[in-house]
Amino acid sequence: MPIRSSHIPLALVSSPSRDHLSDTELARALIAGAGWAYEETWNRFAPTVFNMAVSALGSPSEAEDIVQEVFCRLARKAKTLRKPECLRSFIVSFAIRVLKWDSRRRRLQSWLTFLPAESLTDVVGFSLDVESRDMLQRFYALLSRLDARERIVYALRHIESMTIEETAEAMDLSVSTVKRLQERATERLAKWLESDFELTSLLRRKRGCHEA
Amino acid sequence: MDESRASSPLDELTHLAREARCQVPALTPAELDSHWSLVSTQIALQKSRRRSRVRLAMVGAVATAVVAAWGIPKIGRLPERASTQAALTYNIEGGTVVEGGYLRESGAEAIKLRFSEGTKLVLTPGTRARLRTVNSTGARIAIEHGTTSFQVTPRTEAKWQVDVGPFLVTVKGTVFTVSWDAVKEHFDLKLQRGEVSVTGPISTGEISVKTGQRLVVNLPKKETVITEEDGEGEPGWAGAPVPGTAIPTESPIQDRPTPTASRPSNRNSGMASERRTLGAKSFTGQGWVEAVAAGQWDRVLADVDRAGVKQTLSHASSEELLALADAARYRRRTGLARSALLAERHRFAGSPSALDAAFLLGRLEESRPGERQGQMVEAVRWYDAYLAGAPSGPYASEALGRKMMATKQLRGAPEANSLAREYLRRFPTGSYAGAARALLHYP
Repeated sequence: MPIRSSHIPLALVSSPSRDHLSDTELARALIAGAGWAYEETWNRFAPTVFNMAVSALGSPSEAEDIVQEVFCRLARKAKTLRKPECLRSFIVSFAIRVLKWDSRRRRLQSWLTFLPAESLTDVVGFSLDVESRDMLQRFYALLSRLDARERIVYALRHIESMTIEETAEAMDLSVSTVKRLQERATERLAKWLESDFELTSLLRRKRGCHEA
Repeated sequence: MDESRASSPLDELTHLAREARCQVPALTPAELDSHWSLVSTQIALQKSRRRSRVRLAMVGAVATAVVAAWGIPKIGRLPERASTQAALTYNIEGGTVVEGGYLRESGAEAIKLRFSEGTKLVLTPGTRARLRTVNSTGARIAIEHGTTSFQVTPRTEAKWQVDVGPFLVTVKGTVFTVSWDAVKEHFDLKLQRGEVSVTGPISTGEISVKTGQRLVVNLPKKETVITEEDGEGEPGWAGAPVPGTAIPTESPIQDRPTPTASRPSNRNSGMASERRTLGAKSFTGQGWVEAVAAGQWDRVLADVDRAGVKQTLSHASSEELLALADAARYRRRTGLARSALLAERHRFAGSPSALDAAFLLGRLEESRPGERQGQMVEAVRWYDAYLAGAPSGPYASEALGRKMMATKQLRGAPEANSLAREYLRRFPTGSYAGAARALLHYP
């Protein structure tokens, strides 16, 4: 078979930038199964999910695991997205589901190892002393007792310092729902805290040190 | 949060969580990329799994039949498997574990802990420590004061963590001794074998320590030194040049002989070949950032020795200069560290890393031995330069705190009062807040 050589010059074409695409267009590409859409979705939404997870869990390394889990699940379920204009809330709902799953996993693990769930929380603060780390670990153990939505609302409002409107937008909830969840989370935490004598005594001791 | 809860315990804890959260940096593009490569691999695996689902279903059916035929007698093994997931057990000699995991000595002898998988711990007499948690992969121990030796049995799933004052040492399988002096805020880790990572109030965030290395951190002086145990002896600062603000030159930093060995071939990246066309034939800083993160200070310094200091300082990138400054600082080549930072200031003037270099130069001046007065004046000058350029930068709290302490040392406490007030106004919970309050109560 004779070989014909082409005289058309080859050109190196860079892949098109996807920055200009709206979230809705990106969602449509995801539903259609376009390979590039997963990476673009990752680049746009992974930092948001990471921030949510790190505030809710207190541990960057665990937050990284959550982010990876969220996007793996998203890849499996992308085709079930019915409203392309709701991509952000679709991803947030995945994140909430994964956080719920994670807290269930921790409870189960605590049953298997006969250790309280709080001992499995790996909280790291670079310049915190032992007592502060202790308190933080216990605090995150209390947070983990909240319902996942309450925990994330509390974390975004008070740890990420987001406004109610920003929290509502991030979680695709109404402002009144955010207010209700925040109020409930605060009440429950305050109540649990009152009955956690060890934690309150740690706080008193720390306060005493500062005042001295 | 409403006013009625202004000073509630919940508020205090939330504030603490916020403080800790602030220390977690956002994901960098490089981290996003590396995580994405993991996620994309998993997604690809999921897809291939889906394609072979039918085949798997058939294999599953066969496997079920096999299990039905062979597996029932083996059900008795299940508790054995579950037991491998259970927490490790331990024996204690020379003491007891009391409430809160506190390890109390029962005599004058050292407390010895032996775990069921072979790990051993020896607490020297007088050490205050707590056994915080024990699980199937390891344990978390807090050393409040004193020295403890560890011999951790290597296992793939092993996870041992040691809180040493404000530091966290993460271990897999290794032999090391770690000390914490709570009064002097002095951290000392000697690694006989293996590798550990240390996080805590160290400027680079995380340090990986390798076999034969010793990491010493003096918190009040903010001094971090890594030495090789066999040759370097006690850590300390030596061979420092006279302070000055001139653009770095070869002269103040020829603190090590230049070996004559030929330079090893480097991986030819685009960046490296570009540098060659610029005339820096023998310089490459490729991989320095990673090398410093992995504790390979000597590799970086050997590269500099081969290429020549002047060549390096005039061709290294901004990140490479900062990596070089860290490597030189950890290996006590203060002159080279200082020159790298000055080069950063000069060549990348106006960039955020040039501002960071100003802060680090201040720290370097404070740490150098020699004429204290002049060094402190110089350090304050660098802190001022940093604060002027980055009033709310990542080191602002530290720079203002150090400036306050240096001013107290130079001109006395009453002179430092206004700085203490400013510090408390801007960073009420910062690490120098206690010192600032003490200064304000100075008679």
